[in-house]
Amino acid sequence: MIREESTDSGALLQGTLEMLILKALLRGSQHGYAVAEWIHQTSHQLLKVEEGALYPALHRLELRGLLTAEWGVSENKRRAKFYRLTADGRKRLNAESQRWARLSAAVAFVMQAS
Amino acid sequence: MFPPLHTFLGRVRSFFRGRSMDREMAEELEFHQEMLRSKYLREGMPADVADSAARKRFGDATRWHERLREVWQFTWLENMARDVRFSARLLWKSPGYTAIALATLALGVGANTAVFSLINGLLLRPLLVPESDRLVVLNYEDSGPHLSYKDGMPQAQYTFCTPFFRGLEKRQDIFANVFAFNPDTLQVRGSSGNENVRGVLVSGQYFSALEVPPLKGRYLTPEDDRPGGSPEGWAVVISEGFWRRWFDGAPDVVGRKLVIANTPFTVVGVMPKSFTGASPVERPEIYAPLEADPIVDAPRDHIHAGTHAWWLSVMARLKPGVTLEQTNAALKTVSSPILHESTDDVGYIQNEEKGHFYFAAEPGSNGFAYVRFLFRKPLVTMFAMCGGILLLACLNLASLLLARGAARERELATRLALGATRTRLVGQLLIESLLLATVGTTLGLASAPIVSHSLATMLAGNSEGMVLDSSLDLRVFGFAALIAVTAAVLIGLVPALRATGGDLNEQIKEGRHAAKARDHGKALPRVLMSSQVALALVLVAGAALLATSLVRLYRSGLGFDPQNVVNIAFSMDKQQLEGDPLMELYRQIGEGLKTQPGVKDVSFQFIVPISHRGWNDNLAAPGGEKHLTWLNSVGPEYFRTMRIPVVEGREFNWNDTKASGMKIILNNAAAKQLFPDGDALGRRIMNPWDKNTYEVVAVVGDAKYRDVRSPAPAAAYVPIQQDLQKKLSLNAVVRVEGPWAPLVQVSRSLASRLAPAIPAPVIQPMDDVVNTSVGTERMMAVLGVFFAACALLVTAIGLYGTLAYATARRTSEIGIRMALGAQRIRVLTMVFRENAWVSATGCGAGLVAAALLSKVLSSFLYETSPRDPLIFGLSVVALASVACAASVLPAIRAALIEPITAIRYE
Repeated sequence: MIREESTDSGALLQGTLEMLILKALLRGSQHGYAVAEWIHQTSHQLLKVEEGALYPALHRLELRGLLTAEWGVSENKRRAKFYRLTADGRKRLNAESQRWARLSAAVAFVMQAS
Repeated sequence: MFPPLHTFLGRVRSFFRGRSMDREMAEELEFHQEMLRSKYLREGMPADVADSAARKRFGDATRWHERLREVWQFTWLENMARDVRFSARLLWKSPGYTAIALATLALGVGANTAVFSLINGLLLRPLLVPESDRLVVLNYEDSGPHLSYKDGMPQAQYTFCTPFFRGLEKRQDIFANVFAFNPDTLQVRGSSGNENVRGVLVSGQYFSALEVPPLKGRYLTPEDDRPGGSPEGWAVVISEGFWRRWFDGAPDVVGRKLVIANTPFTVVGVMPKSFTGASPVERPEIYAPLEADPIVDAPRDHIHAGTHAWWLSVMARLKPGVTLEQTNAALKTVSSPILHESTDDVGYIQNEEKGHFYFAAEPGSNGFAYVRFLFRKPLVTMFAMCGGILLLACLNLASLLLARGAARERELATRLALGATRTRLVGQLLIESLLLATVGTTLGLASAPIVSHSLATMLAGNSEGMVLDSSLDLRVFGFAALIAVTAAVLIGLVPALRATGGDLNEQIKEGRHAAKARDHGKALPRVLMSSQVALALVLVAGAALLATSLVRLYRSGLGFDPQNVVNIAFSMDKQQLEGDPLMELYRQIGEGLKTQPGVKDVSFQFIVPISHRGWNDNLAAPGGEKHLTWLNSVGPEYFRTMRIPVVEGREFNWNDTKASGMKIILNNAAAKQLFPDGDALGRRIMNPWDKNTYEVVAVVGDAKYRDVRSPAPAAAYVPIQQDLQKKLSLNAVVRVEGPWAPLVQVSRSLASRLAPAIPAPVIQPMDDVVNTSVGTERMMAVLGVFFAACALLVTAIGLYGTLAYATARRTSEIGIRMALGAQRIRVLTMVFRENAWVSATGCGAGLVAAALLSKVLSSFLYETSPRDPLIFGLSVVALASVACAASVLPAIRAALIEPITAIRYE
């Protein structure tokens, strides 16, 4: 079910974005805006998550059962949809981060070769 | 949870709560936008700048919304729904085309389903009994006195005599059960005299072989099937319907009495409604033991007539685990012993043995029905015709869709260029035809019961007591669905592939363009249309043959005038009077009838002509050769009533009693046969068997005897008073002026006044008898003409439709031609030629096919050659004129094209 498609953000592969979202939600349930903001801030403003990619990714993850969603009240007292990691989502994040670590290490080896 | 499953369930859920999901999505996106705006405000932007920045950053909300929705959808399902909507809109926009397509399809599917329902009810549906696949129908090869040949081969016989059946029944090691039955009409005493009730005489093992438990009481056993019945007397089993009707569903019905043929019978059981007996086309209400035949059929007696009464249908249930082959082998070994113990007639046995007499079993899971043998061929022929119509409908639709696809080439090419995949386009076109097929099939299916019912009525005609079950069942629905899908694929695939198969650029550039090569891609539609014309010609020629044959049959001359004549059947066999007092009763009935208004002549006859019944004997002039002659007992003024000319001599009268000496009237054929030297009047003839001699009192014209198809045979008439039967049941023949309906009431009241014991007389117009006699031919001709008319209509529509489309596409080409000086008449012929070519090749191919196929019909044809050149010629003319009519309008339209408008159109 996982297709590696290029999203509108170009640089950010879908799988990677999903991994980042899962990671962002590891700290607790969040709404979509907070997820995007957290990724933006945590990446030292290097990664900018487009809304057009963020929400489809969130919904896909929800559809696959890696996230659950419920409606709650945001910090500015507005109704917002909050996403939370499920057990499957945690497992998935684990697997993805390991894969990422291996991949980035491998890329680093190659790029550092003289 | 397993992710794909979770995904699937999520999508299913979202499918059902689409609207609230939409709202939530909108709210979520709005929230995000709101957060962006407040962030910008916090960063110190003025309100309106923040607004527009947030909007700009966020982009097109509806687009994101759409993408979110896609996440939750079954893509293919949504696409299909969109395609269906789109196709429906397209079809709606061309109502003419849609109506034509639906009508052709509904016609094809409807006719097919109807005929298939009948075939299903008659030939395919198994009896509703446990393990019906173990039932077999028994027959025997016979080339003895009941010789019948088919295509030079001896034909199997299915009608048994009592000794044959009892012989089989005695040998218990061959079958689990073997049973015989004969449908019969029973006279049951009701509150007002006797009533005729449909029943069946069954042998002892009938019920145990069919294994259907009774609703109440018990069923008949071999104990009941004995002379005189079981020690408790005669027993009968009744149907659930009869129980409710006759006994008002009384719970204590078991043990009550029924008086059948003036003899008390005890009801011992009730069979459930679902049980139809061993024949699928009869609904007996009373099941009586076989041995009761001498009582219920009195004065006839089929039991003691031995090998002279052929009346039983025999079926059996195979032993578990025993195959048909093993059973047939066993049957062969017992055939000769049974033949020998059946009769003392050595000549008969020798004759049979010369013909290699043996019994055989054939699969009988759907029961035994004589009508099955009668109707198998017409039904299958009808089915072939229906198939032809369906094929025609499909061809027609295919060429229509092809023409439409061609007209839409540009649209499709544009859609392809805009990024639609070919699969998607073909899919959409397929859906379009699937939609047509579904709606068309539904329409056809909706009309099928009506068609099927009227077909069944026509088939059953006036056959007494026959019930054709034409209800639609699952198999029929499956069949219709199969037709629909096949039609959809057939219709949809070819045009879809063709329309999307061309070169993209070429098609966009071309469009309606005049530069388009004239013959590009014309071959396929031409072949389609030609085969359509050919098929139509085959159907038209077939129908014309059948219709001509029917007309010749009607015109062939019966030798009597059936119009305005009714037969009134009086069943006198169970009442007290006989001999002269009975004749006096008939005379009174005749006089009672004659005084009625509108009645011109009244007489009596024993056998109704053309009713397929007969009685024959050998007659000889003294010292002359004996000749087989058909006989009938008739009353005074019979020949005047029937309008049979009396060539010489006199009619019978009431004074021709037994005492006055035996009299006889010959028809011309019989007179010529018995007295080749001429002058039969006043001479004597003899029956060599009983040595009776008769005086010839008249010679009359020839009239057809048993059926319409065979020419009038040699026949002789004796007066009813001198008939040897004691309790003669006669038919009153009444010639009326005006309506005959009042006679129903009149004959009833006459009967109840003069002979209260007899059942209500049965009245039947002679026209009906004739129609029933030619029932199969009539049905085939009527249906054939109906189908041929449909075929002509469908072909006309198809020819018109394709030509109209093709011409519309050539508008600019024609415009240029005319601008360059082509005359209107030339344009007209040019367009006209298209269809002329198609029709000519179609007719040619159709003629060949018709000549090859019409042989199948030859057994239904009367004095008509299956390759009658006149009929074939006229069929070609009919098709050609239809093709012309269909081509005139498009041709005229093309000729009226204004060059300027046409060229400007680009």
